Amino acid sequence: MGNKLISGTLGKPIKRRDILKGAGLIGMAGVFPAILTRSAFAADKPTVVNSIRSLSNPYHATWNKGGAAFAKSVGADYVTLVTEGNSEKGIADIKAILAKTGGNAVINVDPNDSPDARAIVEAAKAAGAYVVTQWNKPADLHPWDYDPNYVAHISFSGVPYGKAMAETLIKKMGGKGGIVALGGIESNVPAIERKKGLMEALAAHPDVKLLDYQVANWSATEALDKTNAWLTQFGDQITGIWAANDDMALAAVEALRADGRAGKVPVTGVDGIQLAVEAIQKGELAGTVAWDPYWQGGMGLAIGYAAKTGVFDPAKEPKEHREFYGKGVIITDENANTYYAENIAAEPKMDWNDIWGRVSGQIQYD
Amino acid sequence: MTLDASISSQAAKPAPRRRWRLAAWAPLIVLVLLCGLITLINPNFMTFGNMVRISQAAMIPLVLGLGATFIILMGSIDLSVEGGLTLSAVILSMLVLNGANSNTFGLFGILIVLLVGAGVGFANGVIHVRLKIPSFMVTLGMWFVGVGAANALLGGMAIRINDPMIRRLAIERFLGFPWGVWLALFCLLIALVIQNYTRLGRYIYALGGGEDLAALSGIPVGRVRILTFTLAGVFYAVGGVLAAAQLGLGNAQIGNGRLFTTVTAVVVGGTALSGGQGSVLQTLVGVLIVVVLSNGMVLMGVPPSVQIGVQGLMIIAAVALSIDRKRMRIVK
Repeated sequence: MGNKLISGTLGKPIKRRDILKGAGLIGMAGVFPAILTRSAFAADKPTVVNSIRSLSNPYHATWNKGGAAFAKSVGADYVTLVTEGNSEKGIADIKAILAKTGGNAVINVDPNDSPDARAIVEAAKAAGAYVVTQWNKPADLHPWDYDPNYVAHISFSGVPYGKAMAETLIKKMGGKGGIVALGGIESNVPAIERKKGLMEALAAHPDVKLLDYQVANWSATEALDKTNAWLTQFGDQITGIWAANDDMALAAVEALRADGRAGKVPVTGVDGIQLAVEAIQKGELAGTVAWDPYWQGGMGLAIGYAAKTGVFDPAKEPKEHREFYGKGVIITDENANTYYAENIAAEPKMDWNDIWGRVSGQIQYD
Repeated sequence: MTLDASISSQAAKPAPRRRWRLAAWAPLIVLVLLCGLITLINPNFMTFGNMVRISQAAMIPLVLGLGATFIILMGSIDLSVEGGLTLSAVILSMLVLNGANSNTFGLFGILIVLLVGAGVGFANGVIHVRLKIPSFMVTLGMWFVGVGAANALLGGMAIRINDPMIRRLAIERFLGFPWGVWLALFCLLIALVIQNYTRLGRYIYALGGGEDLAALSGIPVGRVRILTFTLAGVFYAVGGVLAAAQLGLGNAQIGNGRLFTTVTAVVVGGTALSGGQGSVLQTLVGVLIVVVLSNGMVLMGVPPSVQIGVQGLMIIAAVALSIDRKRMRIVK
């Protein structure tokens, strides 16, 4: 059936051997991420594992560096798993590592999609491994229902930071004018929350008008095209651009540059990637929020590792230590140079023992 | 006129000739109607400033579409667009004046990148022809090889491009249009010459029309295929240079979503996926339809959630308009 379908679209027959060859080729391509993963297994210390979406974006690449730094600090073996946006692959890879280590592992995972978290947590519990999840999980899945293996869930509320960026923008605009806004994928929780923050800020500033809100799916290319269309539609009415992440914000800056207006119209992003911080230093970007993926990649492991090695008992911790919001760092032209020097130019200095240092309240579900 | 001539010379059968003419002109009519409709709703559409912006948005899909047109004319498919583009953009960002290392190859860097693109395409062609693997499979694999290699080179980071010559392509203008647009038009000219005035161009049509016949008439089928994939690879590399120039950086995500736009543009322009029918000029029309539509939807205030669905409908409508049902016996 599958054979027929493919040969139908191509208009020529395909032999089974051809498909095997093709599959082999794709398999060879799949080796690439594996090369980046170190896989030496020592039996005594728990293996520490980060499972993330990919290594092709600065955010998760930095996450991975944090994980490696923590692993080095305790002398544990470190493994990086990448889902490449595929939930099945993500879960299967985690199950494979659980089997390989016999459950002697600590897993820090950014689940590809919310429902994946349940499968991952259940697999870890069955194997006796300890797991920390970040960003995505179903609202009714709680760490305290899987004591002691499901140690904690960490997230960041997009509302206050989306709002803080909008306020940074409005301040730069002198409290009045017109804003266009670039949103993330419509169904993503961070996209929804950041937009909510933007709306709250706009409600508090009636002199600022939201000219248009468009979804650019976190993508620089789409953001560039959307911003270009806006420059036609609204022209000089646009006095500020709010973007739900840095990639889109930087693309908006490029669209402005092609129009000869880079640095004249303030733009804000979220995520705190290196190029965004550099753009703030140059005065082309007004602000961003750093989630500190270095901290997420290392501290997620540190919390799980402390539980696994008996430093604390997850079952005895309060709920605000089990499901908590981390702290983002707001970066504007006032602190961009310091932030750059401490976190980007130099390897960030972290105290991996300060495990609850960035707890800013228990996660709220509405 | 050229459009009409290249099509009617393809459809040698006398009977369906009039039908073909209409089908070939359909995309152009759609483009004109679309422009008219958008102008009615938002008169800003027809300003010179917006024409410049549309040309900016169209330059990359056009260059990519030119490469893909040759492959599709041949009756094959190329899914490695994003792989070739990403690898080229990333390598370019590492070779010219940038924020990460001390290389300053400048123009020479662009040449290297074009060679890399040709290499990717050549690999596509050789694997496809020598190992007899369908182009669908080879190029699918090469897509991931390209993006994977770009990933391995950068380790997930982005590199800012500071080379003024590269940035000039996106920022500085000649006769009101950015240099990148002129570069894309130059590529269109080259593609037209290849299509209409070279042996390779005629062979590509022959292969798409009927490969068995072409082989029997002595056309070196394998060599033509390899050469065409190599040529397409060079076009993707130019696309990579333009993408890097436009965003001012190279990263492994720079190609995301380009394949969809490219194939949509080629198909909407009226080039048949079965091969043998179409032309690079039709791809120009297809690219303009796709770009004008996405620009227009923002100008007309179409809700974001509806926009992607409209693009999908457009693909189906375009194929429905452009195929000749009389010649089709079985549809799978």
